[in-house]
Amino acid sequence: MWKYIVKRLLLAIPTLLGVSIIIFGMMYLAPGGPIDVMLGPHAASQEMINSLRAELNLDKPLHVQYFAWLGDVLRGDLGNSWTITQGTAVRELIVNRLPLTTELAILSLTLAVSIGVPAGIVGAVYQDQLADHFTRIAALTGISVPNFWLGIMFIVVFAVEFQFKWAAGGWVPPWQDPVANLQNLLLPTIALGTAVSSLIARMMRSEMLDTLGADYIRTARAMGVPRWRVILTDAVKNAFIPVLTVIGFALAGLMNGAVLTETVFNLPGVGKLLILAIDRRDYRIVQGVILFIAFVYVFVNIIVDVLYAYLDPRIRLGGE
Amino acid sequence: MTVATDDTTVGTRDEQTTESTVQRSQIQQFWRQYKKNRLSTFGGAIIGAVLIVALLAPVLAPHDPTVQFDSPPEKYHPMPPGSEIILTNDGEIQQRSTAILGTDHVGRDLLSRIIFGVRTTLIIAISVVLAAMVIGTALGGLAGYFRDSWIDETIMRVMDIIFPFPSLILAIALLGAIGIGETTYQFAVLGSVTIPNILKMILVVTIVYIPRFARVMRGATIREMEEDYVDALKSLGAGDISILVRDVTVNSIQPVVIQGTLYMGTAVLVSAGLSFLGLGVQPPKPGLGVMLSNARGYIYSGEWWFATFPGVMIVIIILGFNLLGDGLRDALDPKYETRGEG
Repeated sequence: MWKYIVKRLLLAIPTLLGVSIIIFGMMYLAPGGPIDVMLGPHAASQEMINSLRAELNLDKPLHVQYFAWLGDVLRGDLGNSWTITQGTAVRELIVNRLPLTTELAILSLTLAVSIGVPAGIVGAVYQDQLADHFTRIAALTGISVPNFWLGIMFIVVFAVEFQFKWAAGGWVPPWQDPVANLQNLLLPTIALGTAVSSLIARMMRSEMLDTLGADYIRTARAMGVPRWRVILTDAVKNAFIPVLTVIGFALAGLMNGAVLTETVFNLPGVGKLLILAIDRRDYRIVQGVILFIAFVYVFVNIIVDVLYAYLDPRIRLGGE
Repeated sequence: MTVATDDTTVGTRDEQTTESTVQRSQIQQFWRQYKKNRLSTFGGAIIGAVLIVALLAPVLAPHDPTVQFDSPPEKYHPMPPGSEIILTNDGEIQQRSTAILGTDHVGRDLLSRIIFGVRTTLIIAISVVLAAMVIGTALGGLAGYFRDSWIDETIMRVMDIIFPFPSLILAIALLGAIGIGETTYQFAVLGSVTIPNILKMILVVTIVYIPRFARVMRGATIREMEEDYVDALKSLGAGDISILVRDVTVNSIQPVVIQGTLYMGTAVLVSAGLSFLGLGVQPPKPGLGVMLSNARGYIYSGEWWFATFPGVMIVIIILGFNLLGDGLRDALDPKYETRGEG
């Protein structure tokens, strides 16, 4: 098992290095080079330019610049912001906004799993029957409605039409007022969770169909074990492994959605920070946020894979 | 010797005839499967209608999508559906008409903008999927054909870095790097070339989708390579590229095309999302996502129509592609896995 974890962690290194090279290289792709990109329209004093030039080691060869930057990143130093309260560390900006985004992601994923997984199981068990048609159409509609538009419609209906105060967006930290916090996040959670739950339902259905078609299920049924008991004890237990994979997949949708949902509901999260930084061409923040997202994404997927391996004896034992 | 050659030719011709009969009946079977699924026929009808709207936009749209109309006295844009709009020239009233779905924040006709927006949205989605399909198929085909060689390793390593990354965030990152808005590049040969932001968006989203097609194509190519005819062609002295392009690709393209239909929906979703964030289509160009972006400022003040109608159109287009894609995939292989990402 440990061998597998170490192997998985080692495999992540080239991916993360590749991502870091792409993120580092981005600045040089842009017209005007890094100074223009990072200071952009705010290219104020010669002093700022000089200090940035020194900070980026621009007078040294490219690979020296890259390793210097990578060294900083590995020490957790993502540089300073130029446009949002000048001089604030990018790391601090991300860390401050992390609780909101994490909470939104966990709430949405919980909602999505608790709707998507049962819906997928029902669809597979009653394949081509009414319940299957219903869940399939619902899931298809769910992935067809952009979550940012759904969010706008929620605001139109609940905040404007019904004048619910809690529907108007904004965020209160849970340690200040847990009730208001959950109220404020209710609509964003549903807006973001809907598409993800539809994704999960679709994948769960196809995974479940595979499991239900497996020989051991047919054998169990032939031996007279009641249908639902087979489904709940054997099939679901085995389909739980795919659920983990599904969650790994859903994570990408969740991250995409968080950027849009935070923008719609004016939530000061990491996604909103990314958009703000792009608007202001504050490249240090863009780099930092993208790196951070890549890091989280890769590591959550490793955790998912390790859990997967732990639950599946074929992988657990094969990896020893 | 001559006789032997003749024999081979006869044999090949026979095979060709059988193969084309088999192929035709396969297509018939595919079509029958597809038609059986009423939902996918419905999806096909939606996409057909949407394509007609996009093609006939100038005929169907009641007004120029970029003209700013005046409102009647005491009324302000955005005006609700059915409002009177006035075209003035130097204070003189030229024309009075009705904005069926209302107007936007600067007095443009919402219906006309939605109709032209459908056109923009489809152009973006089709360009993205076609470009990604062509490049992805080429890369995936090469990787699959030269499986486990350095070519395969190099291509798939790069693809593996791009593939799992959340699509919208990757697109935002790439757009951020090349700069948002119109950029004029100076080239030694071409002189100065101005690249509009919409082209940048197409480029960036294409990059996001290339690995998806490459992966599907690589898998299909590897499966096809196990067929006997590939070895036969090789032993007859056919070149690698010729086998890959003329035989293997032609035979394994079907799943890639189906995947393309499925990705049309998500390409619309991603490009609408980018435009909504202000990173895609730039006004006054009509686009469904950018209309939602404009409407954001009017949500709380009760102008519901502004955000509702363009959004409904986006949902219709995406739903159409998803229904169509699902139906095509099921008709090809009912057990094909449902894997996608928002």
